[in-house]
Amino acid sequence: MSGWEIFTWLSTIILGLGSLIVFIFFLLDLPSLLNNQPKK
Amino acid sequence: MGFIKLVGPISNLDYSIIIIYMMGMVGVGFWFSKRHGDFEDFFLAGRSLTTPLLITTLISTYYGLDVLFGDSQLAFTDGVVAWFGYARPTYAFFLIAAFLLARRLRKENFLSLPDILYRYYGKETRYIGAIASFIYSLPSLSLYAFGMLGEVIMGWPPVIGMAVIGGVGLVYTLTGGFWAVALTDSVQFLVMCLVIALAVPFALDLVGGFDQMIEILPEYYFQTMGDLSIWLVIIYASTGLTILVEPTFYQRIFAAKSYKNVRNALIAGIFIWGSYDWIVTILAMAAKVGVLQGTITVDVDSNAALLTIMVAALPVGALGLFLAGVIATEMSTLDSYCLVAGGNIAYDIYKPAIKPKASDAELIKTTRIGICVSWILGFLIAIAFEQMLGLWVLLASVLISSVMVPILIGLYFPVLRKKMAGTLSSSFGLLSTLILNIYIMIYGTFDPSEETYILSYGNWEILQEYVMYFTVPFSFFGFWLGILIEKNKG
Repeated sequence: MSGWEIFTWLSTIILGLGSLIVFIFFLLDLPSLLNNQPKK
Repeated sequence: MGFIKLVGPISNLDYSIIIIYMMGMVGVGFWFSKRHGDFEDFFLAGRSLTTPLLITTLISTYYGLDVLFGDSQLAFTDGVVAWFGYARPTYAFFLIAAFLLARRLRKENFLSLPDILYRYYGKETRYIGAIASFIYSLPSLSLYAFGMLGEVIMGWPPVIGMAVIGGVGLVYTLTGGFWAVALTDSVQFLVMCLVIALAVPFALDLVGGFDQMIEILPEYYFQTMGDLSIWLVIIYASTGLTILVEPTFYQRIFAAKSYKNVRNALIAGIFIWGSYDWIVTILAMAAKVGVLQGTITVDVDSNAALLTIMVAALPVGALGLFLAGVIATEMSTLDSYCLVAGGNIAYDIYKPAIKPKASDAELIKTTRIGICVSWILGFLIAIAFEQMLGLWVLLASVLISSVMVPILIGLYFPVLRKKMAGTLSSSFGLLSTLILNIYIMIYGTFDPSEETYILSYGNWEILQEYVMYFTVPFSFFGFWLGILIEKNKG
């Protein structure tokens, strides 16, 4: 496996897993974000 | 306008995914339409964005189809230089923004980019900054892209694609404000990142694996600087300068809960930005391999490389997600720019110039009018202009030339915050960039291979991209002229 290929799979993991983890953290934050938001 | 056609069929399942996605975005907008407090809540989500939300909204806003197709176009024709020469330098600007810019911006509780100019230099500079920011934020490029996507995906005439897909973005931005923009950005972020990551195994499988890429592509495809000249690399790298005065980027810094949230989001974001750019580069190179192998159509246009290989490689359902991801990539850009443009009209022009005691409700209403105005102007420009790249260069140079010098000097040298310096710097920058761009577009010739206007003087050639190298120093000159005038007065 070449260096380019290893870099590509690493990037794929960072992007796929990273975006999923960030989104899960966002979902965990969501209730407090919405609770802080004033209603009209 | 005429665009590429998809080479494969799109199933009903794919269409359903796209429609559900767009309806979901509108639903979020309506859900937030009755949940606003004051103007700060509508425009900056009450300054409550946490790190994960900042990562998602920063990445999805800053990455539009220009990046998706721009990166892939260069990678298709030149290889990995698209990442090393074009994408990588921007990460340095993100680091500068994370460690040098964000702390100062967040500390002073600004509300908009022209607000900075007002506090440092007074209302005249603010108005010029607001005009420059409004012009830059017109969503003409996004709407043009939707015209293209509507034609490619649905077979619609471009005007219908602009109106329908762009209209979805307009509706939820109008109703939901920054809350809707930030929250839809998060979903859009997930869709655009996941589909690009999921596409890698399918695309590599289609062309016979990575080894085939190394074997088939010319050697220079794997040279980090390809065959680009150092000057071209410098020009590509300098496009990252826009980050330092990007209004949507500033808006997210102002909307953050604290400086630490912004810094952490930018540092984490660089890894995701870098991975995203690299994968787009590899997918476009795989498309080139597919063309050379005859796996995909041989007459594929370089800017259609990514779409073409995705249509060829992805199974039913995954293709719908990918196309929704492509729409998401640009939708998250359009909503943010429309909101910034609306805020420029309401907060930076209407309030100080027409009604200083405007209530929050009036400001929100005026912002919504501004959003509509910016969308309509962007729509008209997208229909009228043929050369979108030239338009982007014009819009970017208007913003950079008008506000970069006064904002960066004002942020770091409080002693130089003189009214005349700000006024002359921003007006010199704005006027010179408009005059030079229009002059080159009228008296220059359009070069289809370079995709830009070129003005020739004997052996000298001035590309439209070079305008900023004249106008930013001119804005700098205006600044120092203003300092001298103030000094002589005092």
